[in-house]
This record gives sequence, structure tokens and C-alpha cells, in this order.
Amino acid sequence: MKTLVLGLGNPILSDDGVGVRVAEAVRASLPPGAPVDVCELSVGGLRLMEHMLGYERVILIDAMQPGRGEPGTFRRLSYTELTCLCPTQHVTCIHDTSLVTALEMARRMELPVPREIIVYAIGVQDVENFGEELTPAVACALPAVLDAVLQELSISAQKEESHGLT
Amino acid sequence: MKQITIDPVTRLEGHGKIEIFLNDKGKVANTYFVIPELRGFERFCVGRPAEEMPRITNRICGVCPEAHHMAATKALDALYHVEPTPAAKKIREMFYSAFYVADHTTHFYALGGPDFVVGPDAPPAERNILGVVHKVGLEIGKQVIDARIRNHHVIRTIGGRGVHPVAGLPGGWSKAITKEEREELEQIARQNVEFGLFSLKVFEDIVLGNQEYVDLITSDAYTHRTYYMGTVDANNRVNFYDGMVRVVDPDGKEFVKYHPKDYLQHIAEHTEPWTYLKFPFLKGVGWKGFVDGADSGVYVATPLSRLNAADGMATPRAQEAFEKMYETLGSKKVNGRYEPVHFRLATHWARLIELLYAAERMLELISDPEITDPNTRAPITATPDEGVGCVEAPRGTLTHHYWTDERGILTKVNLIVGTTNNYAPIAMSVKKAAQSLIKEGTVITDGLLNRIEMAFRAYDPCIGCATHTLPGQMPLEVTIYAADGSIIERLRR
Repeated sequence: MKTLVLGLGNPILSDDGVGVRVAEAVRASLPPGAPVDVCELSVGGLRLMEHMLGYERVILIDAMQPGRGEPGTFRRLSYTELTCLCPTQHVTCIHDTSLVTALEMARRMELPVPREIIVYAIGVQDVENFGEELTPAVACALPAVLDAVLQELSISAQKEESHGLT
Repeated sequence: MKQITIDPVTRLEGHGKIEIFLNDKGKVANTYFVIPELRGFERFCVGRPAEEMPRITNRICGVCPEAHHMAATKALDALYHVEPTPAAKKIREMFYSAFYVADHTTHFYALGGPDFVVGPDAPPAERNILGVVHKVGLEIGKQVIDARIRNHHVIRTIGGRGVHPVAGLPGGWSKAITKEEREELEQIARQNVEFGLFSLKVFEDIVLGNQEYVDLITSDAYTHRTYYMGTVDANNRVNFYDGMVRVVDPDGKEFVKYHPKDYLQHIAEHTEPWTYLKFPFLKGVGWKGFVDGADSGVYVATPLSRLNAADGMATPRAQEAFEKMYETLGSKKVNGRYEPVHFRLATHWARLIELLYAAERMLELISDPEITDPNTRAPITATPDEGVGCVEAPRGTLTHHYWTDERGILTKVNLIVGTTNNYAPIAMSVKKAAQSLIKEGTVITDGLLNRIEMAFRAYDPCIGCATHTLPGQMPLEVTIYAADGSIIERLRR
């Protein structure tokens, strides 16, 4: 399954960049030749949707809006949950539209939108001060989120393997 | 399901807030457009090498990283006292024009357009790009997405990266355009010209073809007489990449024309206790409050203001469209130039004229043989000290100002971003629209709140940019308070 791991956020705005950090860690952990693309972005709406085109599965990693989760905790959300909650920082770009609207538009135009979108939303503390460091609680969460994303990727790889065997 | 029902305490501090206070008779007493501020940008920059700024500042906004990249790159030219090579200048302007096509396309079809295409009173669920596509057909949606994708391809090809470009260097550009790339880019430029003409036709058919919308555009609720700012070339025509900053008064007379490096001589900032963001105004006129007129130093920096400040457009089809807009909206020529258009909603029209200009300019630039010259960087020999870089961002004049020590390490940074210029005019427009629309006994509907938001939306404000805030995101909340302080209505986007 053609997969994109997409870290969202601003790497120079403290915890806002946590999604980018996780994506960087995923890239560093992937075995050579893994059928996974990894990229970091700080865009939402149409531009985010356009980056997803052509992938069958996209794993978005983003900071959760402050107040929604304890710093350093994280949640795995399905696309359906995303459409109901819109809980993360960057999926909506009020400067164009929300990711949900953008994807719906792409679907209507029969563009190759992903079949599956999974969101890892990480609780953050500081998204108001410029800085390249994560706050301690959020930094501590990185290994657990990384493990979860890697597990997500390997689980899927195993499924494909077993599918191939049958 | 509405987002607001899930968690009522979501990121309040991150929202741009419009607050409307009613008096005991139910009329608008006052309005505030409040933008939160993020902290520590200058502290973050000071102590770093200045050449990192094109890559740092393009991270402060996910909406127009290209504009910050370009202003920062030009500030480095000035800082290092180096003149970019002719090829580098052309490549930069080509890149920048592609960004304009993509950005203006998005605003018209996804943000401004739905108010006119779907209607200002349509339910929010329909008043978006999906509603536009539903109303005018999938073909337009396809054209919009195609326009965005092909221009982002240009940005990636020339700028070295898709979203956060990296190619700008003091004295030039790190990457030449190959002959093969030139051929592809020429095709794209031609498609853009067609798309620009198509978009103006859409505007003509759907907006100008509907008298109700024309009345809305020209209504007093959305009209202000202010000063207008824009960058012009040597012939006083609109230019996005380079030139002199020109300001005209409400009658269209040139008030001042200055080199961007002299901005501090002409622009000062007013503060208000209810917001962190400052309100720039014309020093030569002075701050007289949130009021219209030639005695008030409030100025606007938008697509409409750029056209108002200029004598015309530098490309033929855009010039035709320029003349048509001024003639249609009843502007007369005085001393060889059109009087300014003061209807703020006409900014949407001006934006499409700029889109066409950007497309035509791309075609001119890519047809110039010099654009494939591999000499894209001038050597740096001078010691850095201080430099100002300025471009027209889609949302207004964007100025970067850096100070360094002799090693090029930053000691001070100042930015005036597009939307900041327009903070006072936006606040005035929101208030006027609210006062015009909310009378004694008025029932507050979503459509009414949207009509107030339309006053704000015409400026295409990017709060993210204005506050150095979260990339690509600008949540907005509108709250109406009764005289006793209780909340009558709250709307979140």
C-alpha cells in the first residue's frame, strides 16, 4: 500500500513542531527501501490535500489543540473522527478551506485521494513561543508516538504479506 | 456535526476574534477585531546568521512562505550590498508571479468567491468551495485545482522545494532555469493567462451579471475613503517584486513615493490597549483614530489599494481589465489616472486583475532568453550591516529589516507584514458593516454575521502572518454582546 507519513507543524514554534519531529524520527527509523514516503509540512486545507493525492494511505501526525489533551499524551484517530472533531492544529486552513472539505472536493473531481487517513494527535503545551525545543512532557512522548507509527506501518506490511500468501 | 459542539474551550487564544458590543437599544456600540500575539520571534532570530532568514521567515506562515522567502532574500541583497544578476532577478520574479497566481486563485474560489457564487446568506455548509463547484460545475473546480498544482510545480521547480522554498541567496538564486524547464514553464504561463481571463469572465458573469451583488459591492456598508499603498515600477505601474512604494490620497493624488528602505520615515505604529498588534499609519498625516478621510493616516495595502496607487498595469490584458473595473465602478480619470475605487468588496475584482497580470508577467519573463542564463549569483564582497527587503505580498506590502554585526550575525529584526498594514482598515470595515447591518431589533442570523465577515474577508487577512503565528491557520470567532455583557451570539470558523 503506497503510504505517506506526514508530519504537520512549525518546527520553530516550540511544541507546534512535534509532528515534524515525529516524521523526522520515522524517516530515520525506516529500513532502506521501505515503501513509505515521509514529509514535513506546515500547511492545511487544499495544499495539504494536494500533497496526499496518489497515496493509498496517509498517516498524519499533528499537535492537538491545547486544552484537548494532556501534554505528551496522544490519540489515534480515524478519518471519520477527524471529520467530526477536527481536533488538530493544522488540518484546517481558514485561509482556504478545511482538509475535510478539500478532500471532498478532490473526491468529487475523482482525484486519487487516499483510501485511508489516520491521524496521530499529540497533546502539547506551548505553541505560542518561538523556539526549536519541545517542552519536556512533549519531548518525552516522542518515542511512544514513533513506536505507534512504526507499528502502524509494520502491521500494515504484515497484512499485505499475508494477503499476498493467500 | 459542528466543531463547536465538541469542545467549547478550544484554542480561544489562537483565534482571531471579532467582538461586537451592542448598546441598550440593540445598536452597535463598538466592535473589536482582536488578534493574539505569539512571542519571541526577534529573540529567536537574533544571534543567528542572517542568511538563514529566507528559510526561517518562510516558516512563520504556511499561507505565503514564498513572500517571506522573497522579502528575506531581498533584505539579504541590501544587507550584503550586492546587486543580483539580471537572470536572478528574472527567475525570482517568475517564481513570485507563480505564487501570486496560486494564492489569488485560492482566495477567489475558496474564500471570497463563495459569498458571491453561492450567496452571502447561504448556509455555511454550502458557502465554501464545494458550494462553488456545485453551483458552477466540476469543470471550474478542476481548473482551480489544476491552476494550484501547476503553479506549485513552478514554485518547486524554481524554488527548490514545494512549500518552503530554499533557493534565495544574497545576490541571486541558487538554481538556474534549464532550457527544458523553460519550455514547460512557458506552457504553464500560457495556461495561467487563459485561466486568468477565464476567472475574470466568471466574475463578470456571476457577480457583475447580478445587480444585487453589484449593489452589495457598491453599498456604503463596505465603503471607506482612505489612503492607498502599493509598489510601482518606473512607470508607476503595479509591480509585486520590486519598485518604489507609492501612497495616494483618497482623491488619488500621489501623497508620497519612497524607496522601501526608507519605510520608517513614512510609517509609524499606533497602539491600543485591547490588542497586542500595532496599527501602522502614515507619519506624514498622523494618527487620528479609526476614521476615514484625507486627515486620517490610515492606509490600506491590498490588491485594490495596489491598483489605486498605480497608474495602470504593466501587461496588456491586465491593463484592459484594470480600465474596465474603474470605468464600471464609475471612477473618473483625473490628471491622466483613475480616481481610487473605495468599495472594499471590489478588492475581489482587483485580485483577479492581479492574477491575470501575474500570469502575463510569467509569460513575458519566461519568453526572455536571459532567464536561462546560468549566471544566477553575484559575488559578495562587502561587509554586512543593515538591509531592508520589500515585496508586495498578496495581502499587502511586506517589509523585512535586518541589522547584523560585521560577521552577518543578526542583532535586530523588524517585519511589517501584509495584514498588519491593514489592521486599522479591517477594524474600521468590521465596525461599519456591523453598524450598517445590526439595527434595533435586528435578528442575528448566520447570514448577517457572514455579511460582517465579508467586510473582513475582502482584505484576505492572514492572522498567522500578522502575529508570526501558527502556519496556515487562522481560526475566527465572532461574538455579539448585549448591553449587560451577556453573549447573544457566538460563531466560530
